[in-house]
Amino acid sequence: MNPVLLIVIPLGFAFFIPLLGFISRKAEKFIPSLALLINIILSLSLLPSVMRKPIIVLLGGFPPPFCINLFVGPVGVIFSLIIAIVGFLVSIYAWSYIGGDGKREEKYHMLYLLLLAGATGVVLTGDIFNLFVFYEILCISSYALVAYLGEKAGVESASKYLIQGSVGSTLILIAIGLLYGQFGTLNMADIAQNINTINPLHLFIPLVLLLTGLGVEAAIFPLNAWLPDAHSSAPSTISAILSGIAIKIGIYAMARVVFTIFGAYQILLFLILLGVITLLVGELSAFSQNNIKRMLAYSSIGQMGLILLALSIGTVEGISSGLFQIFTHAFSKSLLFLAAGYMIYQAGSLKISSLEGMGKKMPLSSLAFSIGAFSLIGLPPFMGFGSKFMIIRSLLEKGNSLFTTLAGIVLVGTVIEGAYFFKVIQRLYFKETAESEGGVKEAPVGALLPMIFLVVLIISIGVYPKMITGILNSCAGELLNRLEYIKAVFGG
Amino acid sequence: MIYYIGALGLIFIGLFIIMTRHNLIKMIIGLNIMDTGVNLFLISIGYIRKGTAPIFSKPGINPGAMVDPTPQALVLTAIVIGVAVIAMALSLAIRLYQHYGTLNMRKIKEQRW
Repeated sequence: MNPVLLIVIPLGFAFFIPLLGFISRKAEKFIPSLALLINIILSLSLLPSVMRKPIIVLLGGFPPPFCINLFVGPVGVIFSLIIAIVGFLVSIYAWSYIGGDGKREEKYHMLYLLLLAGATGVVLTGDIFNLFVFYEILCISSYALVAYLGEKAGVESASKYLIQGSVGSTLILIAIGLLYGQFGTLNMADIAQNINTINPLHLFIPLVLLLTGLGVEAAIFPLNAWLPDAHSSAPSTISAILSGIAIKIGIYAMARVVFTIFGAYQILLFLILLGVITLLVGELSAFSQNNIKRMLAYSSIGQMGLILLALSIGTVEGISSGLFQIFTHAFSKSLLFLAAGYMIYQAGSLKISSLEGMGKKMPLSSLAFSIGAFSLIGLPPFMGFGSKFMIIRSLLEKGNSLFTTLAGIVLVGTVIEGAYFFKVIQRLYFKETAESEGGVKEAPVGALLPMIFLVVLIISIGVYPKMITGILNSCAGELLNRLEYIKAVFGG
Repeated sequence: MIYYIGALGLIFIGLFIIMTRHNLIKMIIGLNIMDTGVNLFLISIGYIRKGTAPIFSKPGINPGAMVDPTPQALVLTAIVIGVAVIAMALSLAIRLYQHYGTLNMRKIKEQRW
């Protein structure tokens, strides 16, 4: 099966949605789920073969340095699998959550599929300009989706997000220009092959520009001002996708640039520092929030810091633990946003205090919220335990006193995380409320199913982490082993 | 050389506008200037003075005098992306003005840290 379909199917279906509106308005919300289901099946069927040998897809029929090639390795396929799974579940949730007030919703579904097509494109491409183009598809559709409801907060945060995001993309474009000027090629493998022929000083500026530009989307500390606004004022399904998928794409691209293209291991210490600051700033800000979605958004910043920290350890264990944390966060944070979505809808307010007593009124959503929170904190037997455990272990394995201190800081971050999540969970279950408002009822079945599925995923991977550690190790191998990457593209 | 100076100048002017102005429209204009600077920069990477288009239309053209076509393809794509971003930004600006009656980002502070 041709891996190009992974990108083509969501992209094609996205533009098919508005046309479908002429035939049937009711059917358009099922299209994203269909497209993403196909993507799940495709990724799963590709996974065994790419574990043995990455597939190189040549577009246009020229040999590698001259054409745009897709690099379908373990990292690309596992990321596209995660994107498809989270996207599929969130799109099922959106059947009942989006619309219902008579507004036309085809824009939502179209932009949603475009966002995921862009994300899949970024993780699969092997050409740096192509990466930029897919990245822009992702960014532009997420700007539009943040403002989808058109109310005050959404429009304001979307415009801030747009300004910051497009300055970031401009920096990426400058860096691409500089790289092209020096290497005369845009192929990532070709650049990686020739990276040692250029004076390292001339590579420093493109590297910094790329990391800054991608860091805006990845919400690394000084560049994350947009995230809490955008994630908290978007519709809950979009918050789930932005937190679960979009910011991960930024960090994936950073890892690809640092490890594969530049092989710049000297900069890892600086990235570790940024990761620690991001972790602490995110967790501390989350602690002081009284708006539930803002709290979750800040918690995402903290988690991104943790992921950056883990990836920047630079060993096989470190990178696979970072990737594991990416998947934990993708599942858990989208579960949290989905569970919070209907609770907020029923409570009619974003305040944490308005969720008091929801444990009795909406038992299943509250249970899902609690499991997502436990998984993010890292309690066994949930998925987060495995990933945090691996991060701490790989930090301690470095044996250096600096890394031991870092392990301590990660644990401090976990404690803060536990504090604010338990504060919410305590309010959900153990606060008595006035029984005045009677209309609060459980979320509809269509919304509960994806939550239950995510819970099952989180628990089953948590109980049996061996299910994915093998894949994670070969992903880490792909990121670290630049020579294999180059050889695979040029068909050695 | 002069093209690089011009391109960098445009990029910095755009960045300066985005960072110092508070009016959203002016920020969008700054963004546009920055985009133009980047496009000029990309074009000047492949530019050769008195060069020709890389098409074998008549025999005997010196290949060294051909302009590199890749940056031009990049710029075409970048222009399209830039147009999409600017259109998105302007439509957001219209919505923002309908909600707040102002475009001054200093005064629009519903969301805060």
